[in-house]
Amino acid sequence: MEPTVANIGNNVYFFDFTMILLGIASVAYLVGLYGDKPSVSRVGTWICILAAVSSAVALGLRWVESYQMGIGRIPVTNLYESLVFFAWSVVLFHLFVERKFESLVFGAFVVPIAFATMLFAHFYGGGGAITPLNPALQSYWLHAHVITCFVGYAAFAVSAGIAVMYLLKANAEADKRTTGVILLFPAAKALDELVYRAIIWGFPFLTAGIITGAAWANYAWGTYWSWDPKETWSLIVWLVYAAFLHARITRGWHGRRAAILSIVGFLSTIMCYLGVNLFLAGLHSYGGG
Amino acid sequence: MVDEKRAQSPIDRVWDFLISLKLAITVLIMLASASIFGTIIEQNQPVEKYRMVYEDWLIRIFQATNMFDMYHAWWFLLLMVLFTVNLTCCTLDRLPRVLKVVRNPKTIFDEAFEKSLSLAGRWRKKGSMAEWSGKYTAALTASFSAPRVTNEGEIVHLYAEKGMISRFGVYITHLSIIFIFLGAIIGNVIGYKGFLGLPIGDSAQYIPIRNGSELKDVGFKIRCNNFWVEYYQDQFGNPTGQPKEYASDLSVVENGREVLKKKIVVNDPLRYKGVWFYQSSYGQDKPSARMLLRRADNSAPPETFHLLFQRGEAYGVPGMGIVRILDFQDNFGGKGQAIQVQIEKPGQPPVQAWLPVADPEADRRRGDTFVLSLQGAEQVTYTGLQVAHDPGVNVVWLGCTLMVIGIMIAFFMSHQRVWVRLSPAPEGKVDVAVGGVATRNRLAFEKSFEKIQGELKELQS
Ligand code: HEM
Repeated sequence: MEPTVANIGNNVYFFDFTMILLGIASVAYLVGLYGDKPSVSRVGTWICILAAVSSAVALGLRWVESYQMGIGRIPVTNLYESLVFFAWSVVLFHLFVERKFESLVFGAFVVPIAFATMLFAHFYGGGGAITPLNPALQSYWLHAHVITCFVGYAAFAVSAGIAVMYLLKANAEADKRTTGVILLFPAAKALDELVYRAIIWGFPFLTAGIITGAAWANYAWGTYWSWDPKETWSLIVWLVYAAFLHARITRGWHGRRAAILSIVGFLSTIMCYLGVNLFLAGLHSYGGG
Repeated sequence: MVDEKRAQSPIDRVWDFLISLKLAITVLIMLASASIFGTIIEQNQPVEKYRMVYEDWLIRIFQATNMFDMYHAWWFLLLMVLFTVNLTCCTLDRLPRVLKVVRNPKTIFDEAFEKSLSLAGRWRKKGSMAEWSGKYTAALTASFSAPRVTNEGEIVHLYAEKGMISRFGVYITHLSIIFIFLGAIIGNVIGYKGFLGLPIGDSAQYIPIRNGSELKDVGFKIRCNNFWVEYYQDQFGNPTGQPKEYASDLSVVENGREVLKKKIVVNDPLRYKGVWFYQSSYGQDKPSARMLLRRADNSAPPETFHLLFQRGEAYGVPGMGIVRILDFQDNFGGKGQAIQVQIEKPGQPPVQAWLPVADPEADRRRGDTFVLSLQGAEQVTYTGLQVAHDPGVNVVWLGCTLMVIGIMIAFFMSHQRVWVRLSPAPEGKVDVAVGGVATRNRLAFEKSFEKIQGELKELQS
């Protein structure tokens, strides 16, 4: 049924503002990296912080506006909201990694993911309308489910970005290359460790996300698992990262192969998140825009 | 790891295969890849639907390989079994060794071991062995954890550890998977799921399961007192046609008494004696037959119930059997409406009967203690209830909880160990050696080790 109480609200302007900030930050990081100008990357960091704040304001405002429209609920329940929440989590994760590891090169690989997500939300997110929840979605499990899943996805995005860096760096190290921006990257060994670190944050969140989804399904219709495409894809993602975790403790499987698994894992994440809705049928709500 | 030099018998080789991590990774990736097919090929659809999408030869291949119900296909189950066997064997192989490490910790801090540690330090202190062994025991207890003291001749070894449980995180996680499988099997073997269309005012004790081919007696009656839909309102307070809530007012009736009453909505089911009733759908204006049920000897008050025409509805009557609708005619032999029913009693061949609305006593011919009659056809609103009994679900939740706990322990805790060796030195002095190691997050441990070492070094006699 088409929603008839559709309202956009002012929050969307803040999200659009966030999107523009992330675009500028992406450019700043890329210019900083390839032009070897850390001061430009530093500007990227500040713009990123501003984007995180503006995104937080937008989410809060959206929450308030949903109540003003008489359909009050936490803003994590449709495609648009999940996308902007995901982008926000990626930015927060990124800022954390950047601060903790004191290297300005990550931004060029991670922030564009957040920017692309905001672009997608802007153009394919149904205009950002606040839609009323159908009865099946009115559950506290939904909130726990969406938040845990998307925090997990964000960690995987960060991991995949760093995995790309790892592959570039590992190739450069193998060739004993001595020039170019690649020298600014942290050592391959450190990147390998970071790919893993991001996943050990993402994996428990995804696990909790799948479990809360199962608990919700059990509350809503009495089956915790029904092999619907979305469920199955979340399991696929989970299996890929489980394979990653075991690959990393096996001789001969860490490094390159682990990085590839991290990238494959993130591609399956995107499939789970968007592809299932675009290409496959199922129970989940944020389908077809 | 496996002893490389041992001559490999075939059994050893099979065992090595079954415990290998390579097998684990392969099976995980195979499960992931196989699962993709089930999301691309729509599962459990009628054959006509597949004909519209696939060529006949492809359908034949898919049928032969069970691709239309692939998550229950023998080869998919075989993969799951292989996965479980791999996990179990791997645990049997490793857990005893971990237990050994934990039970018999390395309490002796010899020089060879000291050399193998990247975190270590040495210094010399003035004072007696007894004094320093006491001081360092107290200091370690305060800043890390209480050490075990081992005397080896003149030499004293202190061994302190923290986070030993982190060694078991992996095993808790792996065990949790077995729990989840176990719960799923229990649910599949002794649980059931069904759908009940219950008209307002009716009650039912039998739940149609397996698409209505079987009726399950739940041991009490569930009654629908009311059903309604609430709509979202627009700015002017008018309903918008977008449903906000589907709700049923249900009662549980046991031995003729109402024992529980609850309003259920989607996401808030009613539970009684392990049976869950979920608001799942509803039907309006569906024609149905209103039936009257009496005792032949009038020993109990009569009851009415409805048989919904559309779903070939069956209705179970405790003590009498199952009534199934076969046919309904508006003008049966010129005598008005009549229904043809089939009555199935356990262990007896089914009996069929035409019950005209004009002849309420027609069913007495069956000679049963119950008399069934048709009161007429009418439109009813019924609530659609999903009914489930799953005794395995709590085992699944236990598994899920263990999994989250296990993963947290495995990822975020670390087994940290610190050793101190005191040995007598000339001129009434004591030689001190310390060392430490952690299983994870070595960077963070390095910092805390430096701190502990600094404190020990600074201690004054
Ligand atoms: C989806 C299923 C599985 C999950 C979620 C899982 C989870 C985990 C986790 C979280 C770890 C810790 C990883 C780390 O410390 O970085 C681990 C380690 C391990 N897993 Fe699994 N596992 C699974 C399947 C298996 C299977 C089938 C095997 C069979 C061989 C296996 C064998 C191991 C081994 C040997 C370790 C290393 C233990 C150690 O460090 O001593 N796992 N697993």
